[in-house]
Amino acid sequence: MPQFVYLIIAIVVIVALVAIFVISFIAYRRTPVPKGCEDLVANKEKCEGCLMSECPLAHGREEGH
Amino acid sequence: MNATVPFIVTFLLAIVNATLMDNVVLIRFYGICSFVGVSNKVKPAFSMGVAVAFVTIFASLVCWPLYNFVLVPAGIPFMDTVVYILVIASLVQLVGLVIKKYSPALYKAFGIYLPLITTNCAVLGVAQGNTDSGLSFGLSMAQAIGTSAGFLIIIFLMACIRSRLDAMNVPKAFKGIPIALIVAGIMSIALIGLGGIGS
Repeated sequence: MPQFVYLIIAIVVIVALVAIFVISFIAYRRTPVPKGCEDLVANKEKCEGCLMSECPLAHGREEGH
Repeated sequence: MNATVPFIVTFLLAIVNATLMDNVVLIRFYGICSFVGVSNKVKPAFSMGVAVAFVTIFASLVCWPLYNFVLVPAGIPFMDTVVYILVIASLVQLVGLVIKKYSPALYKAFGIYLPLITTNCAVLGVAQGNTDSGLSFGLSMAQAIGTSAGFLIIIFLMACIRSRLDAMNVPKAFKGIPIALIVAGIMSIALIGLGGIGS
């Protein structure tokens, strides 16, 4: 089989993976949060020793300090 | 691999090795974030171990064929990390969706650490390591099963120890995470000791 056919298959697979991720992400966001879990926050003791600045929780940590 | 050794023996030895001697948390230091973050209570720790095990095994199950039958023949093996992250993120979303819908108590126990399974380098490390080291599909699954079992056992043991430590008279400076890290260090030394078996 020519190389470009494999390349097209690979592109189709990657696009399908992106589609699966987007669908699962939307489904996750649309599922209602269970009662009592609306205000979940990062635990200061668990997170303050972590230096990972890319973590989305790091922003809240900086504001807290 | 020695041809005279049956595959099942190699498979089982690979699982034992990945579980104990090459433990993902205490020897390779992967997945420390969720290990420290969720190991303060036994039930959430066990559930987190099961969730990580599920994602690790299924990610390896999907990533190995994707790499060997799609990316390598297409001449784009350098796209492996992107593809693996997509697979892992999708699996975590699906696990999160099931937990959110059917187990509110578990959702609350995991808290903000549930989406962090995506960034758990134990999951990506296994998938990446299996393809980088050129393991066969069988051995890469053994590696995934062993790694998952190792994570599950260690996070469960750690949670049991930490629940007992809460009742102990620990000096104030060592309460919480510091004493947990000391315990993890001692457990790590114990596992390093197993590395000498068979040499």
